[in-house]
Amino acid sequence: MIGLEARRAGEAERVERRGWSGFRGPWTLFEKEVRRFLRVPGQTIVSPVITTVLYLVVFGYALGGRLREVNGIPYLSFIVPGLVMLGVISNAFLNTSSSMFIMKLQETVVDLLVSPLRYGEIVAAMVGAASVRALLVGLLTWAVAIVAQGEVLLVHLGYAIAFPLLTSVGLSALGLFVGIWAEKFEHVNLVPTFVITPLTFLGGVFYDVGQLPGVFATLSHFNPVLYLVEGFRFGLLGTSAIEPAFSLAGLVVFDVGLVLLCMGILRSGWKLRS
Amino acid sequence: MSERASVVRIEGLTKHYGPLVALDSVSLDIHAGEIFALLGPNGAGKTTLIGCVSGLVIPTAGAATVLGWDTRRDYRRTRRVVGLVPQEINFDPFFTVEETLRFQAGYFGVKLEEAKLTEILEALDLGRKRKAGTRELSGGMKRRLLIGKALVHDPKVLFLDEPTAGVDVELRRDLWAYVRRLRERGTTIVLTTHYLEEAQELADRVGVIDRGRLLLVEEKRRLLARLGQKTLRLRLREPIAALPAGLAEAGAVLAEGGRVVEITRPGEAELGSELASALGAGLAVRDVDTLRSDLEEIYVQLLKKGGA
Repeated sequence: MIGLEARRAGEAERVERRGWSGFRGPWTLFEKEVRRFLRVPGQTIVSPVITTVLYLVVFGYALGGRLREVNGIPYLSFIVPGLVMLGVISNAFLNTSSSMFIMKLQETVVDLLVSPLRYGEIVAAMVGAASVRALLVGLLTWAVAIVAQGEVLLVHLGYAIAFPLLTSVGLSALGLFVGIWAEKFEHVNLVPTFVITPLTFLGGVFYDVGQLPGVFATLSHFNPVLYLVEGFRFGLLGTSAIEPAFSLAGLVVFDVGLVLLCMGILRSGWKLRS
Repeated sequence: MSERASVVRIEGLTKHYGPLVALDSVSLDIHAGEIFALLGPNGAGKTTLIGCVSGLVIPTAGAATVLGWDTRRDYRRTRRVVGLVPQEINFDPFFTVEETLRFQAGYFGVKLEEAKLTEILEALDLGRKRKAGTRELSGGMKRRLLIGKALVHDPKVLFLDEPTAGVDVELRRDLWAYVRRLRERGTTIVLTTHYLEEAQELADRVGVIDRGRLLLVEEKRRLLARLGQKTLRLRLREPIAALPAGLAEAGAVLAEGGRVVEITRPGEAELGSELASALGAGLAVRDVDTLRSDLEEIYVQLLKKGGA
């Protein structure tokens, strides 16, 4: 590169250096996404917590009076991990899917597409912000559960942190993928309605899969949500129907796969660039 | 002009949408510090061309560079020096005007300093709306906010895609003045517009595109001189039945029932000798008027011919 080309490149470099910070871009997107859900806390934080608390009250107290214990654990305590994960899973997914879809609908996604943000930075910022919301909902649900139980149950801290954290990452990435793919609101609701909610309810939130009749117990093991709920249950209560390390390894693979998928489709411009 | 540095270089840019050819091997250089107006009817390929350079459209073939950097391979570098005002108004109703501008600067890795923020808000007459939610803004304000968003990172090249569509006349003139100020400060500006008056008012050079093909690129003044026409209109004291012999041979015509004599010449021609001939022929002239064809007439003429 000589002469004019070199001068142009030099000018571009100077522009690049002036007042520019590499970390500011993704941080700004992260901050914007967090502020977006905090602008409507009733909808994004309080409402999911109340819904989950209602499950706790209805299933924990009403049904719990009859079931009393599951594998030696009070029923109220038994359902807490599943309810926390229910909040984490649905909120992680909803935050990214709705945010990306609304950005497309309002055409503000153009702001991201013309920016110098790396594809990985966009994924990291959006997944990070959605994870903050999901973990906040999970934490508040757990806090309410502690009050209801009257004690803090936390047996394996590492698993108790790893499962919600990695679950929120994976489901946020899945939500981002669906938000990019969706062409109408119906598409955004498709996955939570027909996939996430059924799998969560059939994923051992309210019952012990070991107590299901043979074929249903076997079928349950094809439900990925079961591994998430049981893994977190191991973290809080020290008991699980599935080896938690195995679940954790699967979750890591799921997260990496979805994050790479999101980066790939952003790079390709699929559904975003014409 | 050939010595001027090219800030944007487009070479053989082609874009197909299935069987539709939106851009057909377009090559174009945008010079540093100029205002370049890209004209064309709806669906001509103006927005697609801008999209290819700014990153919204993936070209089927060809390449574009900004300041020497390839827009696809070095996208982070090129996007940092390009600002885009899209045709469609977009806004995020969750945030205020100030937040919107700060976030946009942040995406480009830039901290929006207070002085810069104030300058943009004042220039776009949005100072009083700084803390207002974007949904509270009128259509014209939202469009100005779009311009503000495109300026927060001090772009070297600013693409304005129909920047004054739906904006009232007074505001349009204010925006034109601001665009000129940006150019004076060294920003290269590429604008697409339906308002030919806008191109005539602002542009240094003009490009005409139709059905994906670039029909013409030329300096506005040269274009007006080359393809435009000037008409000398002589309003007479009394109507006449026929032109004096010399004038008829020179191509003059009678109009308005013999009350007006019209002599038409190419845009770059001088009309002094024609005026002298008319007076010399003994015409009793009451008033003299000259008409100059504008960009709009040339544009219509070009599209009819499919090139120049």
